[in-house]
Amino acid sequence: MTPSDSAQFPATVVAAHALSQRVPTAGGMLAILSEVELVVKAGETLAITGASGSGKSTLLGLLAGLDQPSAGEVFLLGEHLNDLDEDARARLRAGRIGFVFQSFQLLPALSALENILLPLELVGRADARESAARWLDRVGLADRADHTPRQLSGGEQQRVAIARAFATDPEIVFADEPTGNLDADTGARIIELLFDLNASARTTLVLVTHDDALAARCQRRLHLVAGRASEVALA
Amino acid sequence: MRLIRLGLWLLRREGALKGMNASGEWRVLLLALVIGVGSVSTTGFLGDRLKRAMSEQGASFLGADVVVSSPRPLENWPRNALRTSSAVEFASMLTRGNAFQLATLRAVDAAYPLRGVVRIADRPFGTATPRPAQPPPGAVYVDQELLPLLNAQVGDTVQIGEATFRIAGVVAEEPGQFGGVFGLAPRVFLRTDEVERTRVLQPGSRLTYLYQFAGEPDQVAAFSTALKPTLDSAQRLIGSREGVETLRGAFANADRYIQLTALISLLLAVAAIAIAAHRHALRHYDQAALLRCIGATSAQLRTLYAAQLLTLGFLGSVLGVAVGALMQQALAGLVLPDAAARLPALGPAPVGAAVASGLLALVGASLPALMRLIRVPPLRVLRRDLPPLPVSGWISAALTGSALLLLIAWYAGDARLVGIFVGALAGLIGVLATLARLALLASRSVQRMAHGPLRFGLAQLLRHRFDSTLQLGAFTLALFLVALLALVRSDLVAGWRQQLPPDAPNYFLVNIAPHQQEAVATYLSQHHLQASVLYPMVRGRLVSKNGIPIADTLPEEARDSNALRRELNLTWTDALPPNNVVLAGRWHGQRRAAEISVEAGMAERLNLVLGDELGFRVGDQTLAARITSLRSVKWDSMQPNFFVIFAPGQLDALPTSSIASVHVPATAAGVLPGFVKAFPGITVLALDKLIANIEAVFAQIIGAIQLLLGFLLAAGMAVVVATLLASLDARQQEAVLLRTLGAQRAYLAKSLWSEFLVLGWLAGLLASACAEIAMALIGDRLFELPARLHPWLWLVLPPAGALLVGTSGWLTTRHITRVPPMESIRALN
Repeated sequence: MTPSDSAQFPATVVAAHALSQRVPTAGGMLAILSEVELVVKAGETLAITGASGSGKSTLLGLLAGLDQPSAGEVFLLGEHLNDLDEDARARLRAGRIGFVFQSFQLLPALSALENILLPLELVGRADARESAARWLDRVGLADRADHTPRQLSGGEQQRVAIARAFATDPEIVFADEPTGNLDADTGARIIELLFDLNASARTTLVLVTHDDALAARCQRRLHLVAGRASEVALA
Repeated sequence: MRLIRLGLWLLRREGALKGMNASGEWRVLLLALVIGVGSVSTTGFLGDRLKRAMSEQGASFLGADVVVSSPRPLENWPRNALRTSSAVEFASMLTRGNAFQLATLRAVDAAYPLRGVVRIADRPFGTATPRPAQPPPGAVYVDQELLPLLNAQVGDTVQIGEATFRIAGVVAEEPGQFGGVFGLAPRVFLRTDEVERTRVLQPGSRLTYLYQFAGEPDQVAAFSTALKPTLDSAQRLIGSREGVETLRGAFANADRYIQLTALISLLLAVAAIAIAAHRHALRHYDQAALLRCIGATSAQLRTLYAAQLLTLGFLGSVLGVAVGALMQQALAGLVLPDAAARLPALGPAPVGAAVASGLLALVGASLPALMRLIRVPPLRVLRRDLPPLPVSGWISAALTGSALLLLIAWYAGDARLVGIFVGALAGLIGVLATLARLALLASRSVQRMAHGPLRFGLAQLLRHRFDSTLQLGAFTLALFLVALLALVRSDLVAGWRQQLPPDAPNYFLVNIAPHQQEAVATYLSQHHLQASVLYPMVRGRLVSKNGIPIADTLPEEARDSNALRRELNLTWTDALPPNNVVLAGRWHGQRRAAEISVEAGMAERLNLVLGDELGFRVGDQTLAARITSLRSVKWDSMQPNFFVIFAPGQLDALPTSSIASVHVPATAAGVLPGFVKAFPGITVLALDKLIANIEAVFAQIIGAIQLLLGFLLAAGMAVVVATLLASLDARQQEAVLLRTLGAQRAYLAKSLWSEFLVLGWLAGLLASACAEIAMALIGDRLFELPARLHPWLWLVLPPAGALLVGTSGWLTTRHITRVPPMESIRALN
């Protein structure tokens, strides 16, 4: 596939072709991902599932341009990531890609509102503060604006993180085990929130999970076994 | 601009976080910077002030900033804004009735002296008050020695040439009193406009014209530079530094000490900054990775973190300069209080230098850590174990190293000091790493014998061998540098005190005739006074070396030496005088041969070596002797000191007088008028004022040095705290785990205490060893301090280290034993 080919699929948000990742270990090269093929269209929701160590997070990192593959190609938002250096990839991510992490990744020094403000400030949005406040309200934490992460529960922290991911109106959101650190009830509420926001913003969502309930909420599911991917047909 | 704002916003938010754990490294960084810059600006100012103090003292000894002596009137000198005064000096006979005495007359104008004071008393040894040196018309002031020689008292008249003058007072103190006084005829002050009345001066009379100049230091320097080339070989320019020979050693040592203290404070601050910056980078890897993940480029991260760093740099530097400015106010009263009003305010140059050095230290120390921070891979948001891309080791080392070298070179301004320092520091780091590792291994055997929390604390030290070695190294470095300067200080001060013990001689007795020696000794012992050894003295001129006129053996610029222009005081003795040390050759002892011992400095100035035969002219005789030893002489010992000492027997045939020094306590001051009456030919030269001056200067320097040590201690503390903070996260993690596993708070507290106490004790022990070695290596070269052991150091430093590290360790980490484990776990997440 080439960029000109990709132009024939305008609705494609992220695509991988023959994507492989190998890392050196004491016993030689270890294949974490092998020959992964994937195309995700705008507005789709995709779950990447698999056992621990199957290469889910590695695939997510490669798709989001956080890492470089050993072989194969990645296209993200119409750009051929292999041709971009880390700074060019960072520019591509700015404002157009949102992230939700298992460990929330909120900055401890900033309040809930300020954490949402951070990506808006980075891209220089004029209405940053109003926008951040609006998103905080949408995740139901308007009254906790001044609280720092230490003063929030795990579920509340993840809600702030989700608001941060959507605040810049991104074209795609990558989520890595978003409920991995939460109890079942809280996790369910977070999933609800994530999918609601995603639906209303018509964002493409790629999430990594080993939670079947969460995977079942997605339109598509890519299952990894020892680095090899296969798409699972959903009932 | 947006990124700078963002950086500052993040900085402000972090600064607002409570608790050392949260933003401690910023605070330590800022504190270290304030201490470093504060110390630099204070010492910069202090050094300047000391130099001024030295030239002020010198000037008050000399009577001016610069004096030109000339056998002819000086016609053309560069006119400028300097204040001037001129005097004429000549020898003449004073008569009163049947008594007459040769005296040196100094005719002065109303401006004399430009610096220092002349004190006149109404009777010999009476209370003296500062007065103009120019007497009222028709009057003279005389040295008190003249009165018994002329059978006169204050108020009587004396004849000089054809004119009669009334003695209006005795000169108790005058500038220039200590320079080359031996053998001078007693001094008389009269008015310049009354010289003519005496009709003493005839064409061909030997006269010395003395032109004095004083003004701002740069004007004086420019004037001296312009004037020097116009002077011929008979004319001489004397700077104020030459007026203060006695104090020069003390000033040079103090100046060097201050430089060293500033440098070490700054380097300790750099160490603290580097450690704090490293921790800051470690704690911000996640933040940097997140920012990269949400789209920040490396250039944007660079801008963001540089804005934070430079803001802190400016804040720290400005606070540091403010501290320095406050300190100067304190020091102004301490050093040179008389001249404080005349000193310029802290100008932009020293402020700029202090800020620049603060920023240089900060950037040099924290750049490697920040470079790593910028190179954090964004993938770290998914895999927290990912380290930042390594920064090439030599780039980091080169950056920090060159920043440090620049700083050292800037401050030391002395190639030898820089060389010694850099070499010592490099060696020290290697030695410290090895010693620290060995010491930790030794604590293993202690651990085996220990129980409970102590055993656990020691086990912690051994488990984290690498971190413990680093911490021990950093503590040792801080303690060592503080101890080294404390040692130098105590040895310097002890040296100065020794130089001026309470019973230091305060009077010289000059011109004791051979037949008077016994009577003088008897008189003194009757009054319970103890004189020094009597040194016979012959005045002679050095004329030749190995048969060649001495001037011909020297390059043009060395011919102006005092030793050639003036007659030397020659003596002989078989016993090496106290305060003299033979540096080369052998002391002649009782050998009665044509041998001499020469002062090493004079030998160096005149290119003299062992074996050279020197010829002297004494009166109309010449005599020759071979140099068989070179000596160092403590010129500031207040004892009779000599450039040339002959073996016994060589000067026997020459007319001699003797010189001795004596300590006259204040309670026995009344003895002196009687002594002068009993021995009218003997000149009694008072050193009290000089000693008081020296003591005052020493007290000022010592006070200033105490303050600087305060800075140094603070810088050392900053290193200790920075190091402790750097280990805080790991400690907290372990404490959480231990508490979860059931360890009680008291147990944790005791194990932390044991760990810190042992670390501090070991650091104190290692620092004692390093300080002793360093002192032995540099003390002699830099400060002329003899090598010796300091047992008190070994007794004091280990407990002091344990206390220091233990207390600050406990204060830094105590909260980790108090926070409930659940809260800690959440904080760590």
